[in-house]
Amino acid sequence: MATILNWTYDENNRYHRWFRTTVIAITSLVCFVFAWWDVSLLLNSTAIPTPLETWNALVDLVVNGDSVTGGRTVWAYIGSSLKTFLLGFLLALVVAVPLGLVIGYSKTIREFANPVIEVMRPIAPIAWAPIFILAINYTVGPILVVFIGIFFPVLTNVVFGVQKIDPNLMDAARTMGASPVQVFYKVMVPSAVPYLMNGIKVGLGVGWMCIVAAELYAPQLGGIGYYLSTMATNGLWPNAFAAIVIIAILGIVTTGLAEYVHKIITRRMGMSNV
Amino acid sequence: MSEIEEGVRTGSAVESENFIPSSEIKEGEDQIHIRNLSKTYVTEDSETVVLEDFSLDIRKGELISIVGPSGCGKTTILRMLAGLVQPTSGKILIGDRECTAPGSDRGMVFQDFALFPWRSVRKNVEFGLEIAGMPKEQRRERADKYLKIVGLEKFADHRIHELSGGMKQRVALARALVTNPDVILMDEPFGALDAQTRNLMQAGLLKILDKTDQTIIFITHSVDEAVFLSDRIVILTKRPAKIKEVVEIDWPRPRDRASPEFTALRKRILEELEKENVLD
Repeated sequence: MATILNWTYDENNRYHRWFRTTVIAITSLVCFVFAWWDVSLLLNSTAIPTPLETWNALVDLVVNGDSVTGGRTVWAYIGSSLKTFLLGFLLALVVAVPLGLVIGYSKTIREFANPVIEVMRPIAPIAWAPIFILAINYTVGPILVVFIGIFFPVLTNVVFGVQKIDPNLMDAARTMGASPVQVFYKVMVPSAVPYLMNGIKVGLGVGWMCIVAAELYAPQLGGIGYYLSTMATNGLWPNAFAAIVIIAILGIVTTGLAEYVHKIITRRMGMSNV
Repeated sequence: MSEIEEGVRTGSAVESENFIPSSEIKEGEDQIHIRNLSKTYVTEDSETVVLEDFSLDIRKGELISIVGPSGCGKTTILRMLAGLVQPTSGKILIGDRECTAPGSDRGMVFQDFALFPWRSVRKNVEFGLEIAGMPKEQRRERADKYLKIVGLEKFADHRIHELSGGMKQRVALARALVTNPDVILMDEPFGALDAQTRNLMQAGLLKILDKTDQTIIFITHSVDEAVFLSDRIVILTKRPAKIKEVVEIDWPRPRDRASPEFTALRKRILEELEKENVLD
């Protein structure tokens, strides 16, 4: 007991730092839950269920599946959302990475592309949802919304990464006889990778916001956003809140994963300082 | 003692069968001709003449260092030799070929090392061989040989950020030497190192260069370094740079920094530079 009481915080000990961060994070979440509880009781509105009601609905959803509309498990909803998300993400990478490399490399292409990018970027990706879903269809529409959400952060980061490259590294490669093409893929591409990872980190966060919103317009897809809107329109507020909790958890997991991969890759590349 | 260790000791490990220098120039003969070189940097509101009518002949196999007041255009000369910067007028001939673009006949060592952080030490050294299209196994063998020469064979699989400044510069040196270029251009290669490491690197460089017939063009801020290393020292005036004096040093190496002639020469060159550094 005495040893615990005599415990002093040591900034240089990584376990101490980790412990400190965790304690503060848990305290923060506990405070949030209590504040939520207070608001719920004070407003006394059915639209804001208490954390306990939400928890019960969440447990019911996970254990018994969707008992209201019948049949589907929570995993079916999550799976459907993840599929849309993943396709949008991959599409964004396939388009944004080569485009970003080229735009970053060539001043002319940059000057050509910038006006379009600057016009398109400030538009909230969600604004495209009704258009894409009605104009194309309900499967491709949400994928494109996610695509737009992830595309711009990845693109701008890759462009930035290519421009931030140390000119000495390119000169060094040139003095060893590298052709412009070799300088591009042996020097510029690898040095842009940490920036790409950074763009992915930001993009995943934005993309996750987009998927749920897009699903509100595409009920046929049956994602978690659809569950949320069905429950809300039927006044089943605890169930709707349970869906929000699931969305939050998946969002945290996705960005946490991206953070982890970013760390591993930059460390392996010896570029953790970027 | 293994074959390679033996080779490192005697110097025969520094081979030259591959990448045979293209010229027939013998050691001591003029190899590089810098003719009436001028460079003017033009911006919107100013024109800076960095170099004006600069001519110099450099002999094969010599270590020539260029010293001059800060900002006098030393680095510009070197970058033009590397083919990274185009002269405004005049030309550079290496052997009988005019130098207009970077090429594998010239290797360069940068002050800030310019190593690729995403590559291991070995892969950094292999870069020039990769560009030359050498097969993988041969590349690795040759890179390891040169890492041995600079004493970093144990660090072949390390990442660049795990090395000290002196080790990084040795990797850069191995990377420049590995393709066996005719000429090695060094832009204040030891400028970023502490005094002790710097002295070690200078001694190490001499040991390595003793075994090769490469021409070294060496830019430095340090007169002490120039006197310690060079066959000739070119002293430049302030901008636009012109040759103020060329000092020949035929003393044997390794040189004794404490000897009276060493200190006297260092003092004289410093005084020459001092005159150029007067602010106007």
